[in-house]
Amino acid sequence: MKNEYIPKPARIISVKEEVDGQRAIKTFRTQFLEPDGFSYRCGQCAMLSVFGKGESMISISSAPHITDYLQFSVLKTGRVTTALHDLEKDDVIGIRGPYGNGFPVEDWKGKNLVFVGGGIGLAPLWSIVHTAIENKDEYGDVMLIYGARSSNDIVYKDELDGLKKKMTIHLSVDNEEPDWKEFVGFVPQNVMDKKPSPENAIAITCGPPVMIKFTIQSLNELGFNDDQIYTTVENKMKCGIGKCGRCNIGEHYVCKHGPVYSWEKLKTMPQEY
Amino acid sequence: MEKVLLKKDLNSWAGKLGSYDIYAPFKSGDVWGYELMENQAEITLDYPNTAIPPKKILFPQREVLFEFEATQEGGMEIREVLPDDTPKIIFGVRSCDARGLAKLGKISQGGIEDVYFTRRRNQTVIAGLACHNPPSPYCFCTSVGGSPHSLEGMDILMTDLGDAYYLESVTEEGVKLMGSAEGIVTDPDDKQKADKEKIHSDSEKKILLDISDMEKINEALSEIFDTGLWDRESLSCLRCGICTFSCPVCHCFDVNDEIIRTHPLKGKRVRTWDNCQFPDFTMHSSGHNPRSDKASRLRQRVMHKFRYFNENCEEFLCTGCGRCIEKCPVGIDIVEVLEKAKTYEK
Amino acid sequence: MVTLEELKDNCRQILKEGKVKYIIGYKRKNGQYMTVPAFLDRIEEVDHLVWDPSCIYNLVRYLRDEKMRKEKEKEPDTRPVGVIVKGCDSRAVNILIQENYITRDDVYIIGVSCEKSGIVDEKKLTKKFAGKDIRKLDFAGNGKIQVTCGTKNSVVPAEEILADRCIECTIPTPIVFDVLFGEKTDREVPDPFKTIKELESFDTTRKWEFWKEEMDKCIRCYACRSVCPMCYCDECVADSISLAVKPDTTAEEKAHKIRWVEKSPVISENFNYHLIRAMHLAGRCVDCGECDRVCPVDIPLRYLNRKMEKESLDHFGYTAGMEPEKPTLVSCFREDDPEEFIL
Repeated sequence: MKNEYIPKPARIISVKEEVDGQRAIKTFRTQFLEPDGFSYRCGQCAMLSVFGKGESMISISSAPHITDYLQFSVLKTGRVTTALHDLEKDDVIGIRGPYGNGFPVEDWKGKNLVFVGGGIGLAPLWSIVHTAIENKDEYGDVMLIYGARSSNDIVYKDELDGLKKKMTIHLSVDNEEPDWKEFVGFVPQNVMDKKPSPENAIAITCGPPVMIKFTIQSLNELGFNDDQIYTTVENKMKCGIGKCGRCNIGEHYVCKHGPVYSWEKLKTMPQEY
Repeated sequence: MEKVLLKKDLNSWAGKLGSYDIYAPFKSGDVWGYELMENQAEITLDYPNTAIPPKKILFPQREVLFEFEATQEGGMEIREVLPDDTPKIIFGVRSCDARGLAKLGKISQGGIEDVYFTRRRNQTVIAGLACHNPPSPYCFCTSVGGSPHSLEGMDILMTDLGDAYYLESVTEEGVKLMGSAEGIVTDPDDKQKADKEKIHSDSEKKILLDISDMEKINEALSEIFDTGLWDRESLSCLRCGICTFSCPVCHCFDVNDEIIRTHPLKGKRVRTWDNCQFPDFTMHSSGHNPRSDKASRLRQRVMHKFRYFNENCEEFLCTGCGRCIEKCPVGIDIVEVLEKAKTYEK
Repeated sequence: MVTLEELKDNCRQILKEGKVKYIIGYKRKNGQYMTVPAFLDRIEEVDHLVWDPSCIYNLVRYLRDEKMRKEKEKEPDTRPVGVIVKGCDSRAVNILIQENYITRDDVYIIGVSCEKSGIVDEKKLTKKFAGKDIRKLDFAGNGKIQVTCGTKNSVVPAEEILADRCIECTIPTPIVFDVLFGEKTDREVPDPFKTIKELESFDTTRKWEFWKEEMDKCIRCYACRSVCPMCYCDECVADSISLAVKPDTTAEEKAHKIRWVEKSPVISENFNYHLIRAMHLAGRCVDCGECDRVCPVDIPLRYLNRKMEKESLDHFGYTAGMEPEKPTLVSCFREDDPEEFIL
């Protein structure tokens, strides 16, 4: 009988500092110490252990077709994530999972994809962004509208530059900065500015709750129906398998039934997230 | 299989069960609890109900999941810690609590299986006891699909006939266990059969609380999520954990690391009961808390039991044992809340 | 004796005048002789108000909820909250004022004197009247309580069914109040610290065995902490269920919070939890006995706090909650403070 609570040891093979300061973000790439059949879908999460500190549910930001490593981008915010940030290359963490429903990518084949992200909210979108680019012929146009508080808070900076050749990317920062040439303002405003077409499109948004709320309003205004809008939800989790009882929104356990919900579904659920 | 065991022979039957760990009700001070019995002579089934339900035997309040230790090569050794495999018998489990164990089984074994619970459950035989009189004035098992002599979750049901116990096997495990009593049990005669039936039907009538229209409760609750009812009903709540820790089906837990040694690192990952009434139960690391007030936490407790679980498993997550009402230090009464929920006018 | 009608009239009056936001009092639990806390904000609700020996709660605890609620509101109603207090409860209000947790203007204190009686211990009561249908409890004056079972009244000496804390209580009349009902009464108690003296007489081994057994029972439901009017900290060092995290709390601050007590309910951690709590209540506990009452596994928590009370009195002549204008025991130093216990 498989014991789901036992994490598998994995070595950190690289640590990249994405954002420094109070809201630091680091990206970790990991490899299991022993070869493991860990396979997952875009949008799923994994429970990361820093032994002695505890566990934290983090979305997997590498695309499933990449088999050399698992990638996690982590915002330093509490006990476990601070401990993760203190780790270095070659340190060992624990990983269990994958958990959650993931994005319904099969249903999205042949459609235009509009990604709208804010801050660390790009991390859960990153696996599907890469998957969509990698399988270009299976999807329509891919657009990314992404913003952060300041240019310092933008994650995956180097990669974003490279990706501009492969997809449309619109960046934004909240306030004016000397060398900033792109949009200045909040992400939902940038959405209104770039006006992605709702036709044959799916919009996927992830970021701070306030941003998601207004992004959905913007998307609705542009003609996106609620069933064309997807978002991811986060809640405090301990088990990842719908048993510890704290991540539920109504009868839905975010760890098991989520974290991906269409807005059509989510808006009918209690606002306990 | 149906047999009759004289009360005076209960201890000698227990004496034949040497290979089992025997748990039975035990009184310490004024409080009854299930304890591992070292002396079979102390087993008594003459008791109302325990303060803490028998879930604590299959789902202990504290449980080590695994140990970890940094290795010299820079790796991490993880040693799974599984419950020992001594078979167990729990004597005297009331019908509500046995149903509670059955419900816990559905949660633990549904979807991805909880190895720790399953392992304990598989090696445990429940020899339950039907109620003559409701152990608590707050009993309402019959309102939530149970009865004082429900067989759900039991391996054997025992009914007190005065000087003897009437034993009914419910599962194969029960048959096996009753087999061990061969020589000290007899076949029931017609009078004993009739007595047992009468005790069962009488006991149902003695339940004082009756919630009507329970089939409509899910719908009623769905309509009052965002109402002032919850503020009002939770005003006196202390945010303590008595209601859920004493509940036979509350199963929420926390997981933490406990360190034995820092260099080189050695420690344990430990699971402990947790509680939806505690303020930081759902608090995100950012400080954001989806259930930040007492009202939303009381609502969660009631909704989970009578609506959410109902949506997922088509039954209530409540066995009507009445402990949360009896033990609440400020008199919050889930039956009263349900009654108000049914008639609440927005 | 307290006249319930007078008490009700006063409550109706202050609600009518809008003097208070609401009143925290006692009402009957549905169809039973015991009471539950009541929050009365409408005049007609005052009809349900009760004052009898079943009023076990220390309602001062709810001033914490009120404060938290007020802090969340943008434009809070700043009128005082009416609260019904017994002698011990009133001292708890005094401490909250003394510690600047609330101001005197935050509360309208409705004092009720327990006189020579007090409130019952439900366990003692149900044991004494086992099998009887208890309907109602009343103060019968002169240290007696009337118990109505079915249609029959029996008058018993209060001591037989009083809560332990009431038996040892020497301050049955509220110290601070806006209005007082009942007589200011002196209560002669031969030895207010009798219970704790018995425990003090145990030798170390016996004490250890006694407490080890008690601590083993704790399920860490935190009811004792949650019911205590003195335990108002946003974040309790002794447990991990209430972390005070604000939007500007940094990750480091959260990460480096020390877990003084593990969540595991094992003897060592349970000891830690209860002893930290007892120490934090030294010079603050008013012996309302609520911790002891609410414990679902009957740990005699009152002993711990009573011991600290006795120490405060023996060493510093200090009784908690008597003089709100003076500094608290642990926040002042006097040159003549005893110091022989300092190593």
